[in-house]
Amino acid sequence: MTYVIAQPCVDVRDRACVDECPVDCIYQGERMLYIQPDECVDCGACEPVCPAEAIFYADDVPDEWTDYIAINAEVFDGLGQPGGAGNHGPLGADHPRIQALETEGAGA
Amino acid sequence: MSTSETPVKQLDRVVIRFAGDSGDGMQLTGDRFTQESAVFGNDLVTLPNFPAEIRAPQGTLPGVSSFQVHVADHNILTPGDAPDVLVAMNPAALRANLADLRPGATIIVDTHEFTARNLQKAGYAADPLATLEEPGNALEAFQVHPVNLTGMTVEAVKEFGISRKDAARAKNMFALGLLSWLYGRPTEPTVTFLERRFAKAPAIRDANLTAFRAGWNFGETTETFAITYAVKPAPMQPGRYRNITGNLALAYGLVAAGVRSGLPVFLGSYPITPASDILHELSKHKALGVTTFQAEDEIAGVGSAIGASFAGALGVTTTSGPGVALKSEAIGLAVMTELPLVVVDVQRGGPSTGLPTKTEQSDLLQAMFGRNGDAPVPVIAPQSPGDCFDAAIEAARIAVTYRTPVMLLSDGYLANGSAPWRIPAVDGLPAIEPGFATGPNHTKADGTEEFWPYLRDDETLARPWAIPGTAGLEHRIGGLEKGDGHGDISYDPANHDLMTRTRAAKIARIADSLPPLVVDDPSGCSNVLVVGWGSTYGPIGAAVRQVRAAGGKVAQVHLRHLNPFPKDLGEILRSYDRVLVPEMNMGQLSLLLRGTYLVDAIGFNVVRGLPIKAAELADTIHELIDAASDTPSRREALR
Amino acid sequence: MTLQDLDIPRLRGLDLVPTSSDKQTARDYSSDQEVRWCPGCGDYAVLKAVQSFLPDLGLRRENIVFVSGIGCSSRFPYYLDTYGMHSIHGRAPSIATGIATAREDLSVWVVTGDGDALSIGGNHLVHALRRNVNMTILLFNNRIYGLTKGQYSPTSEAGKVTKSTPVGSIDHPFNPVSLALGAEATFVARTIDSDRKHLTSVLSAAAAHRGTALVEIYQNCPIFNDGAFDAVKDGDTKADAIVPLVHGEPIAFGTGGSKGLVRDSLTGGVKVALVAEVGIENVLVHDAHNSDPTMAFAISRLTDGGVLRQAPIGIFRQVERPTYDDQARAQVAATRAATAPDQTPEAQLAALLGGGDTWTVG
Repeated sequence: MTYVIAQPCVDVRDRACVDECPVDCIYQGERMLYIQPDECVDCGACEPVCPAEAIFYADDVPDEWTDYIAINAEVFDGLGQPGGAGNHGPLGADHPRIQALETEGAGA
Repeated sequence: MSTSETPVKQLDRVVIRFAGDSGDGMQLTGDRFTQESAVFGNDLVTLPNFPAEIRAPQGTLPGVSSFQVHVADHNILTPGDAPDVLVAMNPAALRANLADLRPGATIIVDTHEFTARNLQKAGYAADPLATLEEPGNALEAFQVHPVNLTGMTVEAVKEFGISRKDAARAKNMFALGLLSWLYGRPTEPTVTFLERRFAKAPAIRDANLTAFRAGWNFGETTETFAITYAVKPAPMQPGRYRNITGNLALAYGLVAAGVRSGLPVFLGSYPITPASDILHELSKHKALGVTTFQAEDEIAGVGSAIGASFAGALGVTTTSGPGVALKSEAIGLAVMTELPLVVVDVQRGGPSTGLPTKTEQSDLLQAMFGRNGDAPVPVIAPQSPGDCFDAAIEAARIAVTYRTPVMLLSDGYLANGSAPWRIPAVDGLPAIEPGFATGPNHTKADGTEEFWPYLRDDETLARPWAIPGTAGLEHRIGGLEKGDGHGDISYDPANHDLMTRTRAAKIARIADSLPPLVVDDPSGCSNVLVVGWGSTYGPIGAAVRQVRAAGGKVAQVHLRHLNPFPKDLGEILRSYDRVLVPEMNMGQLSLLLRGTYLVDAIGFNVVRGLPIKAAELADTIHELIDAASDTPSRREALR
Repeated sequence: MTLQDLDIPRLRGLDLVPTSSDKQTARDYSSDQEVRWCPGCGDYAVLKAVQSFLPDLGLRRENIVFVSGIGCSSRFPYYLDTYGMHSIHGRAPSIATGIATAREDLSVWVVTGDGDALSIGGNHLVHALRRNVNMTILLFNNRIYGLTKGQYSPTSEAGKVTKSTPVGSIDHPFNPVSLALGAEATFVARTIDSDRKHLTSVLSAAAAHRGTALVEIYQNCPIFNDGAFDAVKDGDTKADAIVPLVHGEPIAFGTGGSKGLVRDSLTGGVKVALVAEVGIENVLVHDAHNSDPTMAFAISRLTDGGVLRQAPIGIFRQVERPTYDDQARAQVAATRAATAPDQTPEAQLAALLGGGDTWTVG
């Protein structure tokens, strides 16, 4: 199991969770933050501090956002476990499906 | 050795006390006399009594060590209330023991030690031996034999070229030789013993053998003793016998429990008087799969035993009262985790450090209740040195069968005292069935099978014992409250109530496996019942015999199981007018009997660090019989 | 019987524990119990690391036993699907000693904390270490009492203000590594909860060690002592704060390896020097296998008792010495072999009971 960041983070990226994470497993994409699922230790420190209420325990992700479980994992394909966001720095990219999301205010 | 020409007087029993300085070897002397008498076929009971200090100041009253042995041609139960013979190796030994002697008793003293300095250390203003011929002297009531034991010993062994100190140390063997002659004891056991014990020190061996023979020869040639005595062998049940102390028997019982259960015995223990001998003994029996662990403290002793039990061994810890206090929390853990564990408490005088080398029965309530929470623990007690063997097996049976810690309450008197023991046949000993869990015992709603560590046996309420290495039964136990059955942590109020009651019910169920009590009431119409437990069996039995011999009617019942009580105990208690409970404490069993059965248990309580004296108890029984006859009898009404 | 007479094979930590050919994952080691530590607790990181690491040992799961005492970290065994016991405060090493001595085929782990192991259970810890019982002790050091809600612990820095020390603690703290080395522990290491890679490598070495392995884990308590280990965790400070111990490597640290440890002739211990000033050839090369614990002890003193600014991290000591439990079993085996090995236990028992001076009646 792991914690997962979902849609409310997109284009918010508050980063309160990054400060809170004891194992530094929350990585910064261009439009949202991602939790490395293998590095996450399930401690739950991030979830209550998110102002956007974007973080959920995997079992509790609302139905409309369950695809974010895969999105958080897949963004690390090819990267593996970088061993800490501080050392690694920003990802410089997003999951393709996040990238493809329309920006707020751009109209549907 | 030749037989004496001196006239022989037949005795049916004799009580001899050897007393001297702690360094004089009195325990060994007494033990050898005991072995000689045992091999001869007498019934016997012993009472070692020694100071807590290894070497208290020489020649002083606190430094006196003694060994009393009661030898008889019939079945006896106690070491005797008052010695018939006292061997006093110095003035302090004489002074410390004089008050215990019966009038007319024989006293043999080592005159060599009656120096001005030793007399002063013992608190004598004047040498009592100097005035023996004078009327009204302090020793007038006794037959005193002043003998230069040390001087004659040193003279006898001078050919071996050992130091004067070593030579003088053999005086205990001279005394033993003299007493062996006086009472016609066989000498071969002691000769063999000395040859074995000092095999590596030939000069010391020869000195001791020579001193022993010189003592015998002195008896034969001196005119000090006009007659010798004989105590014929006692009729005993056919069989092979040995003399055994309670601690040795208890250690053997634990080894036997291991063999009969197929479980390796693991002892975790911290040395403490008077229990250490069990650790010493068990450490010799590695060949029978016994592992002993001398832990850093009492808590680690019981902790390691609990760990070993979890791992599938028969976990045992041995201690005395202060150690039980330290182990209490861990015993509670064994109650909660429901793991087999035998806790041996060789009781001594308390509270605190108390009287380390003296006996008492004052840990009964600690064994019953000395834990936080409602933490019921079965409690059993042996009644004689040899019975420690059977009690240890019984403790292991209950522990393994019911997955529970068991308190086994021996005491200092049983531990160090000895008596003849009929060696049992191994295949006649109770078998103990560990019954390890081997597979899942519960089916989930989805049909998959799993293991529930707290699912119970219908009959015993025991939980399964699944040991590490058993695939599929991985589980966690601990000190937090368990959910019924599945064993996960549960803080649910109703569950805690259920589990507390279940733990109590499991211990209560043990009573289903106990045989009915045997009430000794030959007349069948006694109004007074004497109820005892543990080592008071001997004194109570002797007192009851004295009362009956004087025409009194009295019944006796002795409890091995203190928790749970046997099922028929309540009915037995209620069928007598007076219930007397002699104990070496301030009334602990009385309190339990009163609380459990609402009977007016009357205490007879003595806490002198020594066994109860049968004669004193007999007086009290007589008084109760008289009092009971003045009031309408409940037994009459019941009949 | 002397040690030389005993046939004690040279074994590695888990050599007598049955292995499994089944493919195992972290999930196999996760029990169905809900984990109940505070959000952000360092214990989660250690649990995850242990669950992920245990499959690598390739052991049969049923032959692993975790024992704990009391405290936050002592909930650990409930979350692992192995055999386990959550025991009483401070006593886990003694319980584990019984398990390890009774059974050679078990991998025995102790999970404890600074209060459990160093306060109430200090006695058991040092005696387990000196005996060298085959077990691995994970000492979660958060330098505070968590479960009792925030009193100072035996590793809290002097002057610490807590619920029970409103004007500052006057207790001088223990250095767990120094303590373990003083007890002549054969394996002593320190690692950090959040550094999964280092934590895992130390756990692997500890598991492979035969004897008592003590692993001190710096573990953050976000509720009562948050940030206690920031110096060794923050990207900005850790290069200067962590003194890395790697066997056979010079002990150099700081940005670009600018600092190193050298002997201090004044104290007989070690001190930090600038490599540029002393030369890399004079920087101490770490020798964890040194049979003399003196140098390891000197290195352990680099962690002061105050607020943590610097700490050696890694394996301080890793030496071989016969274990208590191997020797205890060897004594039992040797005695068995020497005493009527062909007799049944019943026959041996009968011989024992019938020994000594006996006589026959009738």
